[in-house]
Amino acid sequence: MTWQNFLKEKSLLLLLHLTCMGLLAGFLRLTDYNRADTALILIFWLAVLLIWLTAVFLERRKYFREAEQILEHVEQRYLLGELMPDSYHLEDRLYRDMLRRSNKSVLEQIRKMEEEQRDYREYIESWVHEVKAPITAIELLCENRRKEGEHFCTISVENQKIENYVDMALFYARSEEVYKDYLIRETNLEEIVYEVLKKNRLYLIQNQVRAEVDCGAMVYTDRKWIAFMLNQILLNSVKYKRESPVIVFRTERGKNGVVLLVEDNGVGIAAEEISRIFEKGFTGSNGREGQRSTGMGLYLCRRLCDKLGIGISASSEYGRGTTLRLEFPISHYIARK
Amino acid sequence: MQILIVEDDPVIRRELKVLLENADYQTTAPDAFEDVAEQVFLSNPDLVLLDVNLPRASGFDICTRIRERMEVPVIFLTSRTDSMDELTGILKGGDDYITKPYQAPILLARIGAVLKRTGRMQEKEKTLFTQKNVTLDILKCSLSYEGRVTELTKNEMKILHLLFLHAGEFVPRLDLIEELWENQIFIDDNTLSVHITRIREKLKGMGVSDFIETRRGMGYRI
Repeated sequence: MTWQNFLKEKSLLLLLHLTCMGLLAGFLRLTDYNRADTALILIFWLAVLLIWLTAVFLERRKYFREAEQILEHVEQRYLLGELMPDSYHLEDRLYRDMLRRSNKSVLEQIRKMEEEQRDYREYIESWVHEVKAPITAIELLCENRRKEGEHFCTISVENQKIENYVDMALFYARSEEVYKDYLIRETNLEEIVYEVLKKNRLYLIQNQVRAEVDCGAMVYTDRKWIAFMLNQILLNSVKYKRESPVIVFRTERGKNGVVLLVEDNGVGIAAEEISRIFEKGFTGSNGREGQRSTGMGLYLCRRLCDKLGIGISASSEYGRGTTLRLEFPISHYIARK
Repeated sequence: MQILIVEDDPVIRRELKVLLENADYQTTAPDAFEDVAEQVFLSNPDLVLLDVNLPRASGFDICTRIRERMEVPVIFLTSRTDSMDELTGILKGGDDYITKPYQAPILLARIGAVLKRTGRMQEKEKTLFTQKNVTLDILKCSLSYEGRVTELTKNEMKILHLLFLHAGEFVPRLDLIEELWENQIFIDDNTLSVHITRIREKLKGMGVSDFIETRRGMGYRI
């Protein structure tokens, strides 16, 4: 609020006063009133007007500054209606009531949407849990009939793909609230890598993949989430493989913790695309050419890493292979122990 | 070794039974869940596989009741992946917590691990194998024939171990590779051929020939 704006807003009032002053001056002139006295009256009038305007300006400016400050400091700005400073002006009070009513409806809307979203997420979670029973049944059915025909092996591999997509949906639904669902334990990375490799062994053997594991390091983290991420990274390596694929899992001791590297000798990622591979829905030229890709796997990995405080990055030489790095920081608290 | 399967999904129950029986366990799998704890007390199994979501009760409560009277190992099987659930499972006295969908080798390995840890399976693993006068020593990681000894690499040892375990029958290459993967050796078809060639060379060096038979489409046999 500046003087200029304020005066502009009050221009009608000013016009009214000036007109009245003019009329009064004309009237006094006609009645032969003393000129000096007329001037005195008009100057006095003007002075009172100015003082009054200044007072109003200062009072209004204070009010709006206060409101502005509240708006600045409150996180939920839609709550302004409830926090507006008191005012004796009728207009202020009317506006405040209107704001309050409008805010209330916004809040109701937000509440409704939050509820719907929560219901939906809960439904996805329970759906995922239910769909896992038939997936388990198919897995066991195939396992027990492996000797009877090769197609049981194929069904098993396809079943695992379903499992992975289902897991992605679950973890996506949950990634917003990772803090509700983790169990940080001292974890041997090698065990998780073994588990992930064994789980995918049929698919990997089918694709003639060779893997080397050299991960001696212990880290403090959640097994489930790490296994999920390694699964995505591994499946990517197989998806974008070249001839005689080799995938190496190894750990290095970095400055601030342990680094897990997953190196493959696949098609690699073009230099101009590597910065975008963790973006949601990014499929890149590799993903578009031939192989089906959802652009969700690495996006979910980065999201989970952010929540778990793990650094994730990738480097690649196009046509030679890709390396993914997961950096597990050592917390000072644990380091001191 | 007697295992009690508590699982309400009939297909999973049936297939789990088949799977465990193929792995030389005896199983009982009740299809009523009114009083599971009572059934455990009566049948006195060596291990209980317990589904968490049962029609009438929660597996966690059943485990608590079992623990009041018995020390039998309990493995929870569940489709819930919640960390809180896992923690509850462990706090209620469960010995392991396996999430669905589980894969047969992983499930069997973890059952074996629990049985060993709780001292119910004291079977010593065989470490010496002899076939056609050739002896494989797992502990020393070596192969011997008529007094001559050759050192083996870890991978060669595991390959031979599997072949010795199936002595007399053809082991298909794919099965061999898969079993190697289950034993932490992640190799492909070509690498397997390379290893087999090296093993043959080592055998030849000791004066053994035609120890490992190859038949196209069938696999290897010793």
